[in-house]
Amino acid sequence: MIGPVARSPATADVFNAIAEAHRREILDALIPGEKAVGTIVNDLSMSQPQVSKHLRVLSEVGLVSCRAEGRRRLYRLEPARLRPMHEWLGKHEQALNDRLDRMDDYLKRLQGGGDDA
Amino acid sequence: MTPDRHGSAVIEFPSDLEIVTVRKFDAPIELVFDVLTKPEHVSKWFAPFTDVVTECSIDLRVGGKYHIVLVTEDGTECSFRGTYLEVEPPIRTVATWLFEGWPDAHAVDSVDLHETDGVTTMTTKLAFRDQAGRDHMTKFDGQEDGFNKMEDYLRSLLEKKGSASA
Repeated sequence: MIGPVARSPATADVFNAIAEAHRREILDALIPGEKAVGTIVNDLSMSQPQVSKHLRVLSEVGLVSCRAEGRRRLYRLEPARLRPMHEWLGKHEQALNDRLDRMDDYLKRLQGGGDDA
Repeated sequence: MTPDRHGSAVIEFPSDLEIVTVRKFDAPIELVFDVLTKPEHVSKWFAPFTDVVTECSIDLRVGGKYHIVLVTEDGTECSFRGTYLEVEPPIRTVATWLFEGWPDAHAVDSVDLHETDGVTTMTTKLAFRDQAGRDHMTKFDGQEDGFNKMEDYLRSLLEKKGSASA
């Protein structure tokens, strides 16, 4: 019942970035607002190198942005970058609904609701 | 008059490996079962109008195989095949599901039908069998941990940050 839905290659990096559970935790931790690396480390019980590594991947695909404040680097979420993924999910749902709607129409025709049975 | 049920499918993701869809049809259960399992019916609704079903064979018995091939507008061939594990007309079928674009993503597709007052409710469950399928889904579709978590998560991010103007 479920088929593949084409995805534009440009969104692949975001998909891959978000496929990793720790990176999703980091994104979750940034929902309330901007945070320094040290704060994320404290919040998530991940090591600093681990958090830095994941933040680098997230920055590369544009899911987080970074600014310097004194000696600290503050990271914040760029949720607009999630939009292509959101749209892709919607498309998947749409494709499934469309197929079931075709089945519905066909059942109606079979039962005499149209001229195409 | 029967209600317009277009777009009414409820799609849920009860676990990391499962996709469950529930949809009602205003038709008796026997007819819904036939429309799902007889090639002459399936070939009429399975593909969008822009696609052409080039093969549709269904051997509806335990151990029997089905194979559906459709060609999209741009010439891409999509091939679905599998083997029936359970056949219980008109209430249930369980079959393996293999889409050739995802050669490792073995799944089991079960369909359950239930009729009440002339309305048949169809519940389908596509369950990916193992890590290989799951990894494959990740590779091609970013679904590693299931759509439910991802979608909730996306929604929470989009709502909290209010960034609908991408």
